[in-house]
Amino acid sequence: MKNHQFHLVDPSPWPIIISFVILNYTIMTLMFFNTKLYTPMTISLTFIIWTMFTWWRDIKRESTYQGNHTSSVMVSMKYGMILFITSEVLFFISFFWSFFHHSLAPTCELGLMWPPKDIHSFNPLHIPLMNTIILLSSGISVTWAHASMCVNNLNTTLKSLLITIFLGIYFSILQFYEYISSPFSISDSVYGSTFFLTTGFHGMHVIIGTLFLIHVFFRMKNIDFSFTHHLGMEMSIWYWHFVDVVWLFLYMTIYWWGK
Amino acid sequence: MAVFLRNLVLSPSTKYLVKNVTLAKNVASFSTCAQRWNKAADELDELPDPIDLATGLEKRELLAELAGDPDPFNVKIRKRGAGTRDQPTEVPSAFEARIVGCICEEESPSISWMWLYEGKPKRCACGHWFKLTYKAPI
Repeated sequence: MKNHQFHLVDPSPWPIIISFVILNYTIMTLMFFNTKLYTPMTISLTFIIWTMFTWWRDIKRESTYQGNHTSSVMVSMKYGMILFITSEVLFFISFFWSFFHHSLAPTCELGLMWPPKDIHSFNPLHIPLMNTIILLSSGISVTWAHASMCVNNLNTTLKSLLITIFLGIYFSILQFYEYISSPFSISDSVYGSTFFLTTGFHGMHVIIGTLFLIHVFFRMKNIDFSFTHHLGMEMSIWYWHFVDVVWLFLYMTIYWWGK
Repeated sequence: MAVFLRNLVLSPSTKYLVKNVTLAKNVASFSTCAQRWNKAADELDELPDPIDLATGLEKRELLAELAGDPDPFNVKIRKRGAGTRDQPTEVPSAFEARIVGCICEEESPSISWMWLYEGKPKRCACGHWFKLTYKAPI
């Protein structure tokens, strides 16, 4: 008989499957780097996405349809998300570290200057400023969505979430446009490497955050949430704010200060 | 005049289904007016009550709290009662035995943990008595 508030999960195949799939993905990506053969990598990525989908589908069933997420389980989930976002912050700190390492004392190979000699960097007042405005606006609309959720206004929540999703997609499109019109590439000195690695990883996080928000939007339409229990939504909002803050640092350091 | 049209209602809270609507009531749907964003009569404008939506253990926890039990799983710290042999502090449990921790003195740096069995009142080293009482699981 169970009379405690914790959720002891049933045996699940997903942890071991995702481990092997990710291992496979790493190897196939290396193969792509070396042989330019991308089909195995794509297949591997498809398996990752499929496993993620099924794992998270199971969590949704455990919470919404089985009611295993009591108040203390919700607290532990929040701690889990906080730790995850902390690890993501440290992940980005490593890229900023690399950027400052190279930009604060440029070597003579770079022309003793930053940006390196003959690198034409972006004007921070063009697309990057637009992207800053877009992300800050999406921060407003996502807060609006959360506030509407807390007062149990479904209509406004859906509308403001849609606005946020739209702004997220718009950001990705503008970033894509900036990439294809860039006068330098990832192999143009350490400037190009740090620039595309950092902004590229940020862009990937924006795409993941947008997918998370889209997922929350459809769960909301499916009536999976109530105004006191909507952890998935709350966590997508935390994640979105994290992505937003990373962009502000990116904009201030790499685009503006490092111009 | 009730002319039925196949009209795509672009409300964010519908499932983007093609719906039958009357022309007379939905003239605004043909315009770019914000009217088209208004919800239909049969749509939810708020999410269900948290207790209605909840199920399983989550629901039982919410119902227990609503019924006035702030500690449905018997895990929170409780004030000791008189604690004599005749009036032991009652410790609720749904099982025949459980672990109890006694904070013997207010400034105690540690908690004295002990097993407590059904029908066997127990005395902590500090002299305080405990007794297991049955409380049905939620």
